[in-house]
Amino acid sequence: MIVAENVEKRFGDALVLKRVNLRVEPGEVVTILGASGSGKSTLIRCINGLEALTGGRITVDGHDVSTKAGLVAARRASATVFQLFNLYPHMTALGNITLAPIEVLKLPKAEAEARARALLDKVGLGAQADAYPQQLSGGQRQRVGICRALAMQPRYLLLDEVTSALDPEMTGDVLRILAELAADGTTMVFVTHEIEFARHISSRIVFLEQGELIVDLPTAAFFAEDGGLAVPRIRQFLSKMKKD
Amino acid sequence: MRYADFTPYDIVLLLQGLGVTLALFIGTTLIGLTIGLLLAVVHHYRVPGCRPVIVLVTEALKNSPVLVQLFLVFFGIPAFLHIRMTPVEAATLTISLNTAAFAFVVFRSGIESVDRDQIEAAEVFGLGRSQILRLVIAPQAAAFSVGPLVGILVNQLQVTSLISVIGVFDLTKIGNILNLRTLQPFIVWAVIGLIYYLAAKTLAHAGGRIEAALRRSVKWGGI
Repeated sequence: MIVAENVEKRFGDALVLKRVNLRVEPGEVVTILGASGSGKSTLIRCINGLEALTGGRITVDGHDVSTKAGLVAARRASATVFQLFNLYPHMTALGNITLAPIEVLKLPKAEAEARARALLDKVGLGAQADAYPQQLSGGQRQRVGICRALAMQPRYLLLDEVTSALDPEMTGDVLRILAELAADGTTMVFVTHEIEFARHISSRIVFLEQGELIVDLPTAAFFAEDGGLAVPRIRQFLSKMKKD
Repeated sequence: MRYADFTPYDIVLLLQGLGVTLALFIGTTLIGLTIGLLLAVVHHYRVPGCRPVIVLVTEALKNSPVLVQLFLVFFGIPAFLHIRMTPVEAATLTISLNTAAFAFVVFRSGIESVDRDQIEAAEVFGLGRSQILRLVIAPQAAAFSVGPLVGILVNQLQVTSLISVIGVFDLTKIGNILNLRTLQPFIVWAVIGLIYYLAAKTLAHAGGRIEAALRRSVKWGGI
């Protein structure tokens, strides 16, 4: 379980996250919605330890990410997929995927590669195992990014606007894979602007507004007239997103 | 009788001078690149207190004349510390440190040229600092560094001519000797210059080939 308690994040004078509370149980798909700059990505970066908290506490399966040992364990339990893929350009798709399993999990190379190839097959990139990121399209790179995360066999998948840099067609490819993962019971924390998609795969939706988590509802309730839509800010946000 | 004419033996002299120049160049290059690399790694790890010292020393080495550095090492340090230093020792020390200073800057830029994004990804996947340096940063930094390093080394090869001033029998010193004997400065210095030119061109050409080979083998387009 991922638990965020009264999380506060300050960059200089700017308070980016204000007393945020969030729980993600195994098996859940929790989508974080909110306008740009509302703190969604920062929240993900606090969970995976890329940003240090300035207040509150985050634990992943009980491991406190603000302690050194806790962060190591927390990072073992989760894996992140990034908006801009963040692949290693000097390694092939296979190399990108097997690096951490070999170096961190200490898997034998052959086993790590066999697993990586199976993952690449699953996302339709079986033929691109030896291609470098430079030679792949954005959508293909992001699918490699997803394989790289899955290769760590994480209990939690953290997805930070993974389709924001992709065109609609590529977005479709990536979302199909995520939908399959969700159907398989993968636990996900999903930051996105793809509202319709979030509606399909999420068990819960939370809404961040200027660093505050103002709504946390099961998906059906979030889109219900007497639920999330009863909150003016959310109604405004959703109608605006639909127009775009 | 003055031996004012050129003799076939002069070619042996020139080759000896070239040998000394090249030996000193290769030795100081190996030492300099090693020290430069170590400095860049220490700088990268932010070892407490080391950064300002490294930057100060390398800046001093880069921004003062090598000849002055050579005098400081050959005359100044022995006088100050009451030690003896041979011309070759002083020349090796000075040029090595000077190469190290320039190499440090190249290696540091190479390390810093690697996107923060990739390093964050490696961190999130649990890789430690030394794993990230070795597996993610180093290959890209190395590819980045080859070109600038070749440029620096071609320059350092020529800088070695300064060591003739403190009495090392390098190519330039041989030039001096031949010039004094023959009183034919135009021919002597033209020949010496041509030999440096050929050596530098060979070095640049070899560097270019290494870079091209790297570019061929490195398919990720990092250079």
